[in-house]
Amino acid sequence: MVRNFLISVGRYVLFLKMVFRKPEKWRIFWRQFITEADKLIISSILLVGVISVFIGGVLVIQTASNLENPIIDKMYIGYMVRESLILEFCSTMVALILAGKMGSNISSEIGSMRITEQIDAMDMMGVNSAGFLVLPKVTAATILSPLLMLLSLALGLLGGWIVVEATHIIPPPSYITGIKAFYNGFYIFYSCFKMSLFCFMISSIAAFNGYYAKGGSLGVGRSSTQSIVITSILILMADLIVTQLMLY
Amino acid sequence: MIKVENLYKSFDGVQVLKDISVEYEAGKCNMIIGASGSGKTVLLKNLIGLLEPDSGEISYGDRKLSTMGYEERKLLRQKIGILFQGSALFDFATVIENVMFPMEFFTDWSPAQRRERARYCLEKVNVIGSDDKYPNELSGGMQKRVGIARAIALNPEYLFCDEPNSGLDPYTSILIDRLISDLTKEFNMTTVVNTHDMNSILEIGDKIGFISKGSLLWQGDRHSILHTECQELRDFVCANTLARNIIEGRQK
Repeated sequence: MVRNFLISVGRYVLFLKMVFRKPEKWRIFWRQFITEADKLIISSILLVGVISVFIGGVLVIQTASNLENPIIDKMYIGYMVRESLILEFCSTMVALILAGKMGSNISSEIGSMRITEQIDAMDMMGVNSAGFLVLPKVTAATILSPLLMLLSLALGLLGGWIVVEATHIIPPPSYITGIKAFYNGFYIFYSCFKMSLFCFMISSIAAFNGYYAKGGSLGVGRSSTQSIVITSILILMADLIVTQLMLY
Repeated sequence: MIKVENLYKSFDGVQVLKDISVEYEAGKCNMIIGASGSGKTVLLKNLIGLLEPDSGEISYGDRKLSTMGYEERKLLRQKIGILFQGSALFDFATVIENVMFPMEFFTDWSPAQRRERARYCLEKVNVIGSDDKYPNELSGGMQKRVGIARAIALNPEYLFCDEPNSGLDPYTSILIDRLISDLTKEFNMTTVVNTHDMNSILEIGDKIGFISKGSLLWQGDRHSILHTECQELRDFVCANTLARNIIEGRQK
């Protein structure tokens, strides 16, 4: 098992080496980059947005129900919701959701190209198939994913505000004051960094699994499932390490 | 010309190719024939560099494949056209984009020039009016034709075809065979066709190599194949009714 793990890590590193070779033509790379940005990031906006609005609302209710002490100012509820969203939800939780959506999309697309010999055809033309297919996905996911994190934060705060306005669980001005209190810009950077790192992991590991898929359509399904499981675990492990390194 | 010398290949201790030595000449349809599981596809994949042999040499002209680095192999691959068994057309691209794909990477032609060349290649294989269709909108025969058009897009010196007739009706099979043969002669390509289809062998086999259990047992052409003394090849040939009737008719 350890041997297999080490072999997989070695193959992954060699795969990344192929992926990050200089593109044959930058014009083709940028065209693919835009296509992938649309497929991976833009198409995730609705999913991330809907989830963020609801989670923001739920966080307000949960935090308010746990902070009923009259000596604690209600604005702390808004403050805690904002910090929860920035520090954990908008990066880690959204990344876990994207591991399912983005990961399976990448893995199944590349996997089915592998089993139908489309990747072999590219290689035989002299095209660096890993570079052409994977580099635009990895770069689009890594560079643009912080935008999803910022969008998730904005919509999460909006969701909280909608609940506050609708239920008056806390006074709306207290919520607004809370979400503006004790602002620390470094936390935004920390969250954006995490999101980029996680999306790099999602896209590269899913592409790796798809690229080496074998065994027909069953193999494609297996590689897709494997990608989601592996990236989910690795995201949580990386979250722990990055948090320890950046916040302490 | 492609030269193969003493080629061996095994998988997990199972010897799949044993001591294969053969030469493939330019301007001819060189065929690798044999029953399913005989090692034809493994030989083809070794020839095109998708698999590395355990030992032996493959030379393109005077250059040995084993001594070529990444960049040299990449240049060689631009001189190779391949028709895969399942056509391997790119799902994300239309017919004309599939044919233009190699040109985009390896030429500095303008989009108009690329389109013109792609149309020329598609006309050569008789695919007209399907430029904007996606591969899943085409029949099997049409996909093969587009696959051939893409394979010849960069005027290759070498053309490899892996079971070009699989899944096609006899009439379309013959059309594809003739197309491969005509293009081979017109562009003086070194063509290697991997097949077990006797009709193809008798139709276009200029040079034929019969493989059985990983060994090259017989070499000849489509005329000599009908009076071979090699029993395994006779069994293979006589599995086809037409060929059997010809052989039996000669014997009578």
